[in-house]
Amino acid sequence: MKSESNTETQETIVQFKNVSMEFPGVLANDDVSLDIRRGEVFALVGENGAGKSTLMNILYGINKPTSGEVYVKGEKLESFHPGVSISKGIGMVHQHFMLVPSFTVAQNIVLSKEPRKSGFIYDLAKANEITENLVKEYGLKVNPKDILRETSVGIQQRVEILKTLYRGADVLILDEPTAVLTPSETEELFQVIKRVVKEIGMTVIIITHKLYEVMAISDRVGVMRQGKLVGVKETCDMNERILAEMMVGREVLLDKLEKTGETGEVKISIRDVFVADDRGLPAVNGISMEVREGEILGIAAIEGNGQSELIEAVTGLRHIESGEVFIQGKDVTELSAGEIREQGVAHIPEDRISTGVSGHSTIVENIIIGKERRRPFSWKGIHLRKSSIVRYAEDLFKKFDIRGAGISTRVESLSGGNMQKVVVAREFSYDTPVLVIAQPTRGVDIGAMEFIHDKIIEKRNNGAAILLASADLDEVFRLSDRIVTIYEGRITGHFKTGEISKMDIGYYMTGDRRETKDE
Amino acid sequence: MNKFKIDYSYILSLFISIVVALFIGALLIMVTGHSPGEGYGAMIEGVFGNSRVFGNTVAKSMNLCLTALAMAVAAKAGMFNVGGEGQLYLGGLAATMVGVLMSSASPTIVIPLAIIAGAIVGGAFAWIPAWLRVKFNVSEVITTIMLNSAAIFFCKYLINGPLKSTEKGVLAATENVFVFKLAKLIPASNLTTALFYSAVIALLVWYVMGKTTLGLEMKVTGENPKFSEFVGLKKDKLMIWSMIASGAICGVVGMMEVYGIQGRFTENISNEFYFDGMLLAMIMNYNPFGIIAMSFFFGTLKIGAYAMELSTGISGEISQIIFAVIIFLMAAQGGFKQFFGDAFGKFKAKRYKAEETDSRFSMEELSDDMGLDDLGSKGEE
Repeated sequence: MKSESNTETQETIVQFKNVSMEFPGVLANDDVSLDIRRGEVFALVGENGAGKSTLMNILYGINKPTSGEVYVKGEKLESFHPGVSISKGIGMVHQHFMLVPSFTVAQNIVLSKEPRKSGFIYDLAKANEITENLVKEYGLKVNPKDILRETSVGIQQRVEILKTLYRGADVLILDEPTAVLTPSETEELFQVIKRVVKEIGMTVIIITHKLYEVMAISDRVGVMRQGKLVGVKETCDMNERILAEMMVGREVLLDKLEKTGETGEVKISIRDVFVADDRGLPAVNGISMEVREGEILGIAAIEGNGQSELIEAVTGLRHIESGEVFIQGKDVTELSAGEIREQGVAHIPEDRISTGVSGHSTIVENIIIGKERRRPFSWKGIHLRKSSIVRYAEDLFKKFDIRGAGISTRVESLSGGNMQKVVVAREFSYDTPVLVIAQPTRGVDIGAMEFIHDKIIEKRNNGAAILLASADLDEVFRLSDRIVTIYEGRITGHFKTGEISKMDIGYYMTGDRRETKDE
Repeated sequence: MNKFKIDYSYILSLFISIVVALFIGALLIMVTGHSPGEGYGAMIEGVFGNSRVFGNTVAKSMNLCLTALAMAVAAKAGMFNVGGEGQLYLGGLAATMVGVLMSSASPTIVIPLAIIAGAIVGGAFAWIPAWLRVKFNVSEVITTIMLNSAAIFFCKYLINGPLKSTEKGVLAATENVFVFKLAKLIPASNLTTALFYSAVIALLVWYVMGKTTLGLEMKVTGENPKFSEFVGLKKDKLMIWSMIASGAICGVVGMMEVYGIQGRFTENISNEFYFDGMLLAMIMNYNPFGIIAMSFFFGTLKIGAYAMELSTGISGEISQIIFAVIIFLMAAQGGFKQFFGDAFGKFKAKRYKAEETDSRFSMEELSDDMGLDDLGSKGEE
């Protein structure tokens, strides 16, 4: 499809002319000029905080640029408000969906433009009909009558897309659409994108971190760095390595991790553990594993196979139905999260926004919490000693390269990568012998990812026992000394890194292959 | 740190809201056929006119300040205590019983004991909804509202039933004014030594919430309970104790009402004092310093309105409307900031340069993206 659309019309549908956007203290977009062509898939890549989302928010009318002009279909945008942009055919699907969980799929789709009977009565039947027609027209399968809350993330994303289509969008902006999707859902999404571009001539702008996606789906790619657009290229002229270099502005040496030291005694011991998920259904079905000092055990599994529940169970956030967990030789099966931390465990949770930070609080508060009663930070565990806390937080702020306006910044205003660095800074500064790490770099740019990986390896080389779970197979391979594969809550394979290829491990992640395995 | 810092944009919004509310109040006074100058003049006269009314205003502000702090203490840890009124009644009742049972003892013993009794009973009564919330996830909003009625009707039952006295609506043995009344600071006014106790409580709340480990832990728990548990805080304990503290403060307010102002325990020991306090707490965003600082303004408004009604015949309900408008405007803060977006943004940018975070940003983003573009149409375009 790449070669096809290159030869298609070169008409410009969206044009940014010298757009700059300044937030207090931050130049988010710096003199960006960019043309998007009708009927293309345009990928916008860049590190977190490079200004991609800001630029797209300008197009969608959420942000008003400090200077510069935006043209849609040749007409200048005179005011910046989503209502205006929507009326010009711009649709945007955010990373965090803006849907009403208790409404049905159809109700969500027609929201803000509901069909009405005799002027003011909500016409639910018509809404369902509209949804079914949209489904037929675009091939995005959803069931209009499903309650949104009960649908999967992939379906919710489709609802978001259908909503923009219903409102008449012909330019669709997708902000990191695959961050929340499973590989098969991602594949389906790509099919849909290809289809809407090919069959109805939509223009799709996709913001992403994942370079292989850029290669797979886009016709052209624009790279942003520190607010500037550093290059726009035909995707077919690019490769992932060049893209990565353009993004970070230097060569990325993703393979230079140096592992040193020897493994020591067993620090984490999980014995025949069973755990239930939120609905009470079995999620972990008898898993046993051990992690020793100075090693990283990686869990490779497709999301939803019990690895999240296992991690929560080990760290005391989820009840263990049966089985035992020992940390440094002590039985922690029945202990709370706080008590397990006291045994020398730090934990980077899977979902940083809901679990890993208090978004409304500042960076300092998020870094100090958990240690606030310890010595230099408080007087007898009561009075907060502001100066020591600030000094400590400033130090970590620099050491962990958190990029924000300062330690008094609210965490919720940070980009994903910087928010994750706050979590890493807090958890790693406990200096615990045991670390449980889930999705350390999800939604994080390459620069921050490299940094976090270095920190994890540093911990390992200093003798920490690390249990790692990640949906990113490259990450698991890069960091782990040993890898276990989990499928439907059971261990299906156990390998030393380097003894198995990524291709082969996929085989173990997708089914129970024990009969064919001889380990 | 955020909490050590003054949020100028908030203060500006508050100031604008108050001005607008007073302006709307003025319009309403005009609608009722009076001049606003006359109305507000009577208000000021009724507050600063003589030492007695001034004393009453300070006493009212004190009451508002404590009830608002009670609300804030619970709210900071994520507990929405609507039950302060009931906690106030039962605390007041317990304090009264101390005085009744120890009527021959010295006031230097009885008064501290009465404060303690009020605090314990108020706190214990607040523990019930807190425990239900933590153990069974029962909404404390509903239970506290229901327990309000339980407490108030229990007091009424005692007053009209087993502990009936010769005077209607007054608890037995308190018909005649208490021997233990707190000493007046300004003669003939409601201002008593309760001011000192209130000041101690207010300072303590401000200190604990703003400067201690406990305050930080409460804040984090209130903002994200999941995170609180995750970092190993004793989330349940924090929530329960913040609620107990809230109830205890209400209990002490009840005690002060009995020992300071009324001198006896009546059916109407509180005239929905706690609800006024809740409003103040919400306006000030549960910030203890803000509550302490602004309680006098709202006390003035309350007392001034009564005075205005008495001397000019303008309905005192105006003060309720002014209250409501301020709350409305503060609640709509995010939207208004967006409305005046640029001017405000530049104002902020100048003010703190790179220092301050832009929390306005996320709010806008959200409201913009809820698909409300068509509903909440704006005059901007």
